[in-house]
Formats: sequence, C-alpha cells, structure tokens
Amino acid sequence: MNDEAFAQLVDAQYAPLYRFALSLARNGSDAGDLVQQTFFIWATKGHGLRELSKAKSWLFTTLYREFLRGRRRDARSSSLEDLPPGEKEPAAEDFDRVSKMDAATVMSALQSVDEAFRAPLTLFYLEDLSYQEIAATLDVPVGTVMSRLSRGKAQLRTALSSADSGGKVLPFPQPKGHRHS
Amino acid sequence: MKTAEAKFILGAFRPGGGDEGDPAFAEALRMTSGDPQLGAWFAQARAHDLAVASKLAEIQPPYGLREAIVAGARVGGRQRRPAATWGWMALAAALLVAVGLYAFRGSPPGTTATRQLADYAITDMVQGKHGSRGAPAGALVARLQTEGAPMPGAGDIDFENLRETGCRTLNFAGHDLLEVCFARDGAEFHLYVTRRDGPLGDAVAKGPDFVSEAGGAAAVWSDGRFDYVVATEAGVAALRRLL
Repeated sequence: MNDEAFAQLVDAQYAPLYRFALSLARNGSDAGDLVQQTFFIWATKGHGLRELSKAKSWLFTTLYREFLRGRRRDARSSSLEDLPPGEKEPAAEDFDRVSKMDAATVMSALQSVDEAFRAPLTLFYLEDLSYQEIAATLDVPVGTVMSRLSRGKAQLRTALSSADSGGKVLPFPQPKGHRHS
Repeated sequence: MKTAEAKFILGAFRPGGGDEGDPAFAEALRMTSGDPQLGAWFAQARAHDLAVASKLAEIQPPYGLREAIVAGARVGGRQRRPAATWGWMALAAALLVAVGLYAFRGSPPGTTATRQLADYAITDMVQGKHGSRGAPAGALVARLQTEGAPMPGAGDIDFENLRETGCRTLNFAGHDLLEVCFARDGAEFHLYVTRRDGPLGDAVAKGPDFVSEAGGAAAVWSDGRFDYVVATEAGVAALRRLL
C-alpha cells in the first residue's frame, strides 16, 4: 500500500477507531496509543490483505486484540453469568435525556458499562459493523453479541439516568477477581 | 416468533438503518407493523440508539493523532517485507544486510533512523501534553537541570522503574518512549529515551547528530543500550551547549 492509500485509510478509520478505543481504555492517552499501535501493525503486516474492503474489520479486530493483550489476563476470566444484569427498558424520556447531554457525558456513561458489554455496544453505536462483523471482531458467537447488546443497553440506560440526575457515572460493580486495567 | 424474541433480535438492528436488507431481521421487523406495542417499543429503542450513536460520533480524536499515526506507520512500512518466494526473500535479505551495513557504517548526520526519532520528538514537543509523575522522574529532571550535568547514559536510566512510577510514556512505532521536560540556561528541553531493541534497532548512530526543523531542533545519540533525543525550540546552538 502506498503512502497516499495509507493516508486515505487513516482518514477514513482513525476517528471511529479512536472512539472504540476510548470506550475500552477509558482515557484519551491510552486510546490514542491503541489506535496508533493498530495502524502500525497494519503498516507492518496488514498491507498483505488483498481485499482492502476487509481493512475496516481487520483494524477493529486488531485494536480489540491489542487492548486485551495490554491488560491483565485475569480480567478475562469472569463469565457473563457473574455480571450484573440490566433490565431497564427504553422509555420515551430516554431519547430526550440523551439528546440534551453532551457527548463527553454520554461517553462517560458508556465507559461505565461493564467491559464485556461495552465492546460490542460501542461497535454497535459506531454503526460501522453489522452484528455478524461485531461477532467476528470480538471472536464471540452471534448470539452472544445480541445478548451482550441487550444487557449492555440496559446498563447504559441506567448509567445515563444516573448522569442525568446529577449523579456521578460510576463503573458497574465487577464480580470478584474481575479488574479493569 | 414471540415478542420477547423479536425484541432480542431488534436490539442488534443498527439505528441508522445499516441492517435494512439483512434477512435475519425481516420477521422481527414485520412484527413491529402488526403489533402496536412492539412497534412503539421499537420506535423508542431506535430513537434512543440513534441519539447515543449521534453523541458518540461527536467525539473527536485528539489533535495530532492522525499525524502521529502516519509518522509511526511510516517507520513500520519501511520495515516491511514484500510478498515473495523464499528464494527472492533470501536474496533481498542479503542485499538489505549489505546495503544496511554500508549505510550505517558511515552514519552521517541525518540518517533515516536519526531523522525519524528527531521528527517524532519535535512533533511531540510541539503538540504533546507534557508532564511526568513519580519520584524517579523527578530525580532525573533535577539532575538534568543541574548546571553542567552530563546527559544520561545507560548506567543512569532505570527504564522500567521510570515507566512504572509515572514517567510520561509515549508509543513510538509500537515501543515505549519515555519523556521528561527540564530547563537549563533559560531554555526548555525535552529528553526522550527508548530502548535500543525498539523499532529502529541499532540504526541510531552513537552521535550526537543534530537535526533542525521548522518546529525545533533535536540532538540524537545512542549509548548502545538506549537511544536518546533531546528536543528544544531554542535551536541547535542551545543543544550543543547542553551536550
């Protein structure tokens, strides 16, 4: 891939990748590093991909793997059964609430959602990938993606309600042995 | 299909309509027309999803990230190997070694590796958010600010300790690069340190080599274990006085 094509790929993908990374890493500095590292890997390995149309999925997949690689292994050991459920159904006021919020508050609420739900949820809201592509990116079955979207949205609504009522957006409680980086 | 199942499936339907043609959603979408309660639920859920997606799209990457990506990947791109048979790769590798040996033996000021490291440091000096934490970083800064103190060598840098105790750590082409800021003789300097086994390998010359650009000047050198850059906006003359 020549420099011009690479620059075009960066221009098209670095912003959504940064948003995904920001939701995972929860701080801008680490998110920027993740995006930079992802494109560096592309430059060293990914240029071998024959179909440029697959570049988007490849970049999201690689970023997610880099995120997992960079954090503690024990954070992966929790099972979904241990994670707190979220049952909040959407209500008419939810839409108005979100519309009036600033983007940083919404991102903060998203960052408070448990990681197992946060990754598919962010990819869903970025709208770049279908649920099948999200499943491939995160290396989980399609049914798992749907389940995590459902529960993640419920957690997000709760977090948004909390933020709207003036409460600080706190991460959802983690099961024993589950820690974020 | 029951209502609960339809809700479950529709939860994965992208609010902007990106899944309109996906047959996996067809039955659930049809149900929203025949079931007013489900239809109302879907309308609310979609409006909410759309609002969140819109807010997420407002988040902008930090200034300078794009340039850092392009500069960092350029280093990676130069390291890549073309797809080829093993025979051609062996020949190419032999040529690379020969050219590399020839190129680095002379190591004139401004070699590619020196330039890349200097470019990165100057860009960060101008655009980055600076500030390190931790006692080891503080001690290093205090030493650097001492009049007449030499620039650090391998024996002075506890790379791991600095990184783990809060020294500002950047990502240079996939490898850690530490940075501290210090002042001397009324000028501000930024010291960057990366391991010799990083992306540039042993390509950085013993130096010091000086690079001057529009944004600032940098001195680049290596002690065999670490590569160093000091960047400043005070010019090459200030760097020469410092070193």
